[in-house]
Amino acid sequence: MSQAEDAATPQAEKQEQKPAEGVHINVKVKSQDGNEVFFRIKKNTQFRKLMTAYCQRQSVEADAIAFLFDGRRLRADQTPEELEMEDGDEIDAMLHQTGGAS
Amino acid sequence: MSGGIARGRLAEERKAWRKNHPHGFVARPETQPDGSVNLMTWHCTLPGKAGTDWEGGYFPLAIHFSEDYPSKPPKCKFPPNFFHPNVYPSGTVCLSILNEDSGWRPAITVKQILIGIQELLDAPNAADPAQSDAYQMFIQDRDEYKRRVRQQAKLYPPPV
Repeated sequence: MSQAEDAATPQAEKQEQKPAEGVHINVKVKSQDGNEVFFRIKKNTQFRKLMTAYCQRQSVEADAIAFLFDGRRLRADQTPEELEMEDGDEIDAMLHQTGGAS
Repeated sequence: MSGGIARGRLAEERKAWRKNHPHGFVARPETQPDGSVNLMTWHCTLPGKAGTDWEGGYFPLAIHFSEDYPSKPPKCKFPPNFFHPNVYPSGTVCLSILNEDSGWRPAITVKQILIGIQELLDAPNAADPAQSDAYQMFIQDRDEYKRRVRQQAKLYPPPV
């Protein structure tokens, strides 16, 4: 279990912000074997950052894993906001595999 | 009003699912053309269990809830003509826990239903067939049956 970076938002400007709950959400990435990694990300940050961090942590190539939310593949240029993700949502990490490739 | 109870429960089910669900499974309420969400019909995907002839398939399943849910069980449907001894030609799944007069209990969750159906895929009950095609083959020619199952799994490839 690990918290991801990204917590460096200054506290001061919160008055001008929209609702404060809009800024960060916590999401969970779960692998096939049940391993869970938690990330705290901004709602308007592209998933690229999460994907890279996750793959680095798992010591795999950046394109070795597909991330699925509600059965749909996440693209690196999408954001949680775009997909209407909520705090606590779970993302499935799928290892790419090809049958009969031996 | 019972409809309120059904929707309230389904909203809870969906909330719980988003936070925690079995890996590779999908369960989401239908989105209508106008963008609104219909909690009474869910579109799901269940993966075939690893190590079985169903492995590699990601099978689409629709769950239809009635206003009487959770007093009454939902109806679960694969595509029509889905190949399995306990699935009707219409695609409707025949399973004890989905039968009002047998195993259904209001406390059974969507997650339990989907895991139960995944379990059923590789453990058909030959004593209670719902279609003749898969049933006949299952009891008469097991090798051909297994071949058909593997062939069907290929029709439903992984989402990535």
